Amino acid sequence: MRCKEASQQLQLYLDNRLTIQQIRTLEAHLASCNACLEELSIFETVVKDLETFKVVAEPDDLNEKIMRRVAIAASQRNTSPSRFSLWPPSLLEILVAATLATIATIGTILQQSSIRSMLPIANGHDGLSLTYLNILHALMNVDSTTLILALWIAGTLIGVCITLIFAGSEIRTQWFKAMMERLPVR
Amino acid sequence: MREHSLQSSQTIGIPLTNVVPSAVEQDDILLVAASKNGDQEAFAQLVQRYQRLVFNLVYRMLQQYEEATEITQETFLAAWQGLPSFRGDARFPTWLYRIAYNCSLKQLELRKRDRALQVALEENKTLENANDEQRENAELDAREHQILIQEHLSHLPAKYRIVLILRHLQDMTYEEMAEILTMPIGTIKTHLFRARNLLKERLQSLHRDSDMEYKG
Repeated sequence: MRCKEASQQLQLYLDNRLTIQQIRTLEAHLASCNACLEELSIFETVVKDLETFKVVAEPDDLNEKIMRRVAIAASQRNTSPSRFSLWPPSLLEILVAATLATIATIGTILQQSSIRSMLPIANGHDGLSLTYLNILHALMNVDSTTLILALWIAGTLIGVCITLIFAGSEIRTQWFKAMMERLPVR
Repeated sequence: MREHSLQSSQTIGIPLTNVVPSAVEQDDILLVAASKNGDQEAFAQLVQRYQRLVFNLVYRMLQQYEEATEITQETFLAAWQGLPSFRGDARFPTWLYRIAYNCSLKQLELRKRDRALQVALEENKTLENANDEQRENAELDAREHQILIQEHLSHLPAKYRIVLILRHLQDMTYEEMAEILTMPIGTIKTHLFRARNLLKERLQSLHRDSDMEYKG
């Protein structure tokens, strides 16, 4: 056996990963090679030192602390409604539903020309109606590339907002920190 | 940071491998099943059984007592929250070690990002190096070896540190380590050999330096 081969087997020898035949060959080599024996001795010292590391006692109240956090996590899991559950609705869901219902009701009312003419708004001559008509006019005249670009930016922003809403506060904080780090101002 | 000088009052001096007898393994399956059904008392028993092993693994990875306490808590909390996805393909402690290792890695990453802490660590390192020089002048005895090994261990890359901890402090086989770290046995072997070689080289260089000092 050559020293190079013996050197490769020394750690396997310490880990009891050699066959009986390999052990015999290696031990025969070690009996006649001081350099490899010295190398084995250093490895043995390293292993011995590692194995004499003492067990460090954990804090006395570690179990209590862990179970307190587990209890909080369990109660949150039991009390918090599922993010996608339909019932009971969250405050946000109620607000969204109320807003949509209000818009739909106003829309239905404004469709009736007789009612519309009686109202001080949305009758074609008031400020709100003129603003609406101006925006519509601007959109009709803008070129398609600009419109697509604007829609793409708006879509991306809405997508980022939705993702952040559903990602949870931890991810939101990390994202915000990362964004702030990348900003050129302090 | 040297554990002996800071934590000596907290060491209890028993081999780590004797902490968990193999007879409890069967009981784990029942406790895990109960915990999965929300039984917190059953989970508390699992915590009681494995907290020392997990704590020591995390402590050796992070080398800071307070941080190890926090990360051990996070490990068990993550285990509790992840129980529904635990299918029992691996043994419970194997799965738990995997979580502990990942939590420790995450913490090490956080440490890296914290530049202020890194600067403080650099300052500490400079102080330690100065202490090292003084120590090299003294005669090396067995206790000093242990201290040096601990210091060198803390400076090894995490992937090498974990295999040394699992092999020599938790007395695990290559197969068990491969399961915990989800790596092929060949990779485990390579990491273990490189880690021990690094420690060996550092010991040898220290011996050389002390010999030169003696001759000089």
